[in-house]
Amino acid sequence: MQLFPCPFCGARDEREFHFMGEAGKTRPDTQQPVSDADWAAYLYDQRNDKGRVREVWMHLPCREVFGMQRDSVTMQVLGTTAFRKAGA
Amino acid sequence: MRDDGRKWDAPPEYSQPLTGAGVRAARVWPQRQVLISAPDVLARIEAAGWPGVVRGDSYALSLRRDRVLEVDGPPRDEGWDGRQAVTEVTDAYAVIQIEGPQALALCRRGTELSLSHPSRSVARQMFGLPVFLYRWQTEDRFRLHTPRGYGQALWQTLAAHMRQMRP
Amino acid sequence: MSGTRTETGGLIDRTKTLRFRFDGRGYAGHPGDTLASALLANGVRVLGRSFKYHRPRGVWGGWFDDPNAILDVGLDGNAIPNCQATTTPLLDGMESRAVNAWPSAARDVKGGLDLLHRWLGAGFYYKTFIWPDWHLFEPTIRRMAGLGAVDGKTIPDYVADQIHDSCDLLVVGGGAAGLAAARAAAEAGQDVVLVEDHADLGGGLYRRGGEVEGRSPADWLAEQRAAIETAGGCILSSTTAFGVYDHGLVGLATDRGFARAPRLTRMRARRTLMATGALDRPLTFADNDRPGVMSLQAAAEYLGRYGVLVGRRIVVLSNNSAGQSAVAALRAAGAEVVEADPADGPIRALGGARLNGVQVGDRQLACDSLLVSGGLTPVVHLWRHAGGKLDWSETANAFLPGAAPEGMAAIGAANGTFNLQAALEEARAVALGKPPAPSASSYTIRPLWPEPGAKGRQWIDFQHDVTLKDIELAARENYVSVEHLKRYTTLGMAADQGKTSNMAGLAAMAAIQGRPIPEVGTTTFRPPFVPVPLELYHGARRGQLLNPLKRLALEPQHRQAGAALGEYGGWLRPGWYGGKPARDAIRDEVQMARSSAGIFDGSPLGKIEVMGPDAAAFVDFVYYNTVATLKPGHIRYGFMLTESGAVYDDGVIARLGSEHFVISCSSSHVDGVETMLESWRQDGNDPDRIFVHDATQHWATLAVTGPKAREILGALVLDLNLSRDVFPHMSFRETIFAGTPLRIARVSFTGDVSFELSLRTAKAADLWAALTMAGAEHGAGPIGIEALSVLRAEKGFIIIGKDTDGETMPHDLGFGGPRQKKKTAFVGDRGLHSEAANAPDRRQLVGLSVPEGSPALPTGAHLVTGDKPRSEGIVTSSYISPTLDRPIALALLARGAARHGEVLRVWHMGQVRAATVTPPCALDPKGARLDA
Ligand SMILES: [Zn+2]
Repeated sequence: MQLFPCPFCGARDEREFHFMGEAGKTRPDTQQPVSDADWAAYLYDQRNDKGRVREVWMHLPCREVFGMQRDSVTMQVLGTTAFRKAGA
Repeated sequence: MRDDGRKWDAPPEYSQPLTGAGVRAARVWPQRQVLISAPDVLARIEAAGWPGVVRGDSYALSLRRDRVLEVDGPPRDEGWDGRQAVTEVTDAYAVIQIEGPQALALCRRGTELSLSHPSRSVARQMFGLPVFLYRWQTEDRFRLHTPRGYGQALWQTLAAHMRQMRP
Repeated sequence: MSGTRTETGGLIDRTKTLRFRFDGRGYAGHPGDTLASALLANGVRVLGRSFKYHRPRGVWGGWFDDPNAILDVGLDGNAIPNCQATTTPLLDGMESRAVNAWPSAARDVKGGLDLLHRWLGAGFYYKTFIWPDWHLFEPTIRRMAGLGAVDGKTIPDYVADQIHDSCDLLVVGGGAAGLAAARAAAEAGQDVVLVEDHADLGGGLYRRGGEVEGRSPADWLAEQRAAIETAGGCILSSTTAFGVYDHGLVGLATDRGFARAPRLTRMRARRTLMATGALDRPLTFADNDRPGVMSLQAAAEYLGRYGVLVGRRIVVLSNNSAGQSAVAALRAAGAEVVEADPADGPIRALGGARLNGVQVGDRQLACDSLLVSGGLTPVVHLWRHAGGKLDWSETANAFLPGAAPEGMAAIGAANGTFNLQAALEEARAVALGKPPAPSASSYTIRPLWPEPGAKGRQWIDFQHDVTLKDIELAARENYVSVEHLKRYTTLGMAADQGKTSNMAGLAAMAAIQGRPIPEVGTTTFRPPFVPVPLELYHGARRGQLLNPLKRLALEPQHRQAGAALGEYGGWLRPGWYGGKPARDAIRDEVQMARSSAGIFDGSPLGKIEVMGPDAAAFVDFVYYNTVATLKPGHIRYGFMLTESGAVYDDGVIARLGSEHFVISCSSSHVDGVETMLESWRQDGNDPDRIFVHDATQHWATLAVTGPKAREILGALVLDLNLSRDVFPHMSFRETIFAGTPLRIARVSFTGDVSFELSLRTAKAADLWAALTMAGAEHGAGPIGIEALSVLRAEKGFIIIGKDTDGETMPHDLGFGGPRQKKKTAFVGDRGLHSEAANAPDRRQLVGLSVPEGSPALPTGAHLVTGDKPRSEGIVTSSYISPTLDRPIALALLARGAARHGEVLRVWHMGQVRAATVTPPCALDPKGARLDA
């Protein structure tokens, strides 16, 4: 059972967290033309790296959305990034 | 389309507290619970995290970086007032108080919990249920708020664990 | 009889006698005994039978490493199958029986199976029972397989206690190294927990004998224990660390006594020291499975810990220096011990079930016990659970801990440090985070591994009857990877999980292939380290608590009204009322709602508030429909989509004020919708200008629907004009009921005039009483979810997830407007214009009617056309409409919207029926009832 550090709450049981996706994806501006390929890449393309990964997670009890860097082989947590300044 | 009513216990009689070895649990009924959200809410309202001990009859709990739950505070207008968002949730959370020398041990059956691991939020999962957990008035008295629909499950879970807390 | 109890020594209490039975005969033992030690002391040799050939089996090991002696044990009416005799503490009155043997281990009627061994080698089942069909043979084989017998009774209150704990340093193993480390760390101020799986501390000290740092073992142990506890350390005995999991979590199982479920401690340790010792491994020679062939280390253990001398005339076969103290101790206890060199030639155990000698090369030696030692194998399971590496040591002839997993270190024999003084120094250094001083090892060993082609039956896995020949066969058939070898031969899959057999097995494979042992490698080590009852993982979370449902505030009222309760979207809700058969009750409720009114508990409906300066723009973004134009006091029906454009949820949104909305999503989607709102709020929007509060459970919601709804509300004394001109459909009002705020929404899921009344849950019972009393005047009463499902289906209203699937888009449901017209960005917008979204054969919502007199269509039936029937859609909802007095159905059908009037075939389980495609709405298509 892993411990993940929520930038607001601190270390918590992994079952309190929800995986939201790999980091680095930006929603295309749908007010402009978006090609099928670009939209499909946004929806479905995953890097699925072995080793160091950057991901977006949500801590469900406090609903904090944040970035987490992990190692997908050793399960080591390498760091987190808060996306927000409020309450700091 | 089945009648599964008999598989589920009817709601418990909350007037009877649960007692176990060194721990006692009872339902409590706050007069008012209010969610207050704003970017600066934690700077304006003193709100408890873990494992701080809440003192006073009216208090606020830190839930998120921009949200507190005010318990037994003054009446407030609901909605967005230009500075904060306010919603009354008095009946949304059932509150169970557990106390006694074994109260912390009972809580630790529900999740990894330590007085030496502080948290800025009282929100967590215990026994698989969403709760707000904090200490109230004394060091060995804890309060758990859980969504009202899960109040019964939390009550039965505490009772089941208290039966296990024999030497 | 060969085993005897010594006059003195060991940890047993000779002043007390415990009576017990084994295979029908009575025996006596002492407190401190295990079942195995007590039986050995009574001279019992055969304690079990092997799994496949039913060969007689004696005790091999002294603790968790024994693969042979497995017993069904009963006490005081409680029975536990498959207890390891070597680890089960003896209690007075125990009734035990060998598994896989009848009538007894000594005289097993299936012993004759061994004569067939030539035909029963590895892969026998795979090769034999394939024609005509495995299932023909399965029942017989299943009856013959398996070990212990389950008596089918439940042990009262057999519930595992489960706790979480944490510490700076967890020391696994209460032998000399573990104790020294725990003491050093505790005295340095660390928060230390030490676990030991025996009831007593000491580990290998009992079999070693002699002094420890100038003191007797007992004095030294007492001193360490006192020092650890004085320094604030915690010692948990009878506790096994059975697994290491991510981020320093170690699973601990504490024995709480016979027929009592163990305690599970989930220990989060900053650092874990593995002081788990080392096991003696078997030697591979002909007939090495005979009862009386035992591990030398185990014999020392029985003597030192239990005061049992396993034999009088002993031959020792050892290729290493570790057993010297054991030989001395056995001699001192009165045994005649002959040491033979296993390198002196082929070895064969002699005798039948009763060992009477051993042949070593040309020499024959008479003996009653043959004690063997093939070399020390560090117990590295936890190390591998944690991802630590193993290095092959040529000098130790064993796999030793190599590169360490994070937060873990190995000390003592587990680390290959077999010398006591060196182990103590290493332990103390490592405990304080210092590198241990290098020390020269006094341990010597000559490699001695299985020899391919050797004569006789040479056992590798005692319990599963895997012999050297089976491994040779597996190699010939190309099962050469150790993982394949394991599964093909079942090597290492016995109850001991290869603790005795894996090294010999992989060494045999290495020899067969002429490869070095480290190149062959080990199989994966997985938790649990020793068998634990499933109950350990189960605990109090059982029955109703396994996956608890949310409960309605009005559940007592519903039960009072005879509600049938069932799970609907995570809530326990009334399906129908009145204690009647479901079909009749649902029909009556529908007719009541259509003729008068139904009162429905809709409390789980979402009440998610969205507030703030950007609230309007935000809800416009997360909704398919345009919401920004909604006026305060009004309500709009709409969809939330996934980014691929599929319908995720439908519901209504009410605008309370310019910066205040309430989203009423489906009851089962509240958590999902709230999470989705939060994720969009914090990703791509300004979270300081949007706030999402889930107030769902603060509010109880009761809906009144039907032609008499307005009259029933009129009886409630509300300061509110309910007339349709003033309070039209899709509008929203706030008022006061019984001194408490009441929100009323005019929305309808039935096509009839409906009001949804929400007030704080604490007052729900008052409103329920008032509505049911007022309703009774008009012949109206409660309706359950099942009646509501029929009412909405009559109108062609969908239930997301029932009438839609993961590909359904709004334009498939007749809501194509925003897809074409909405100007601002919204979730799923681009997905609605993908190639798939524009496909001409999309499945669209339709209704179905059947010829007069036909029964209702089966839900899930396929709609087919053509000579070679091909599914073009499925029936999603189907009922007999009490209002229309005929079957109705909804379906998803390719190009359905353009096919109204077409007659289709409906295929279900080989039966074909006819149905006509209709619009989804079967009742009141003009909506006259809604404005009545
Ligand atoms: Zn958090």
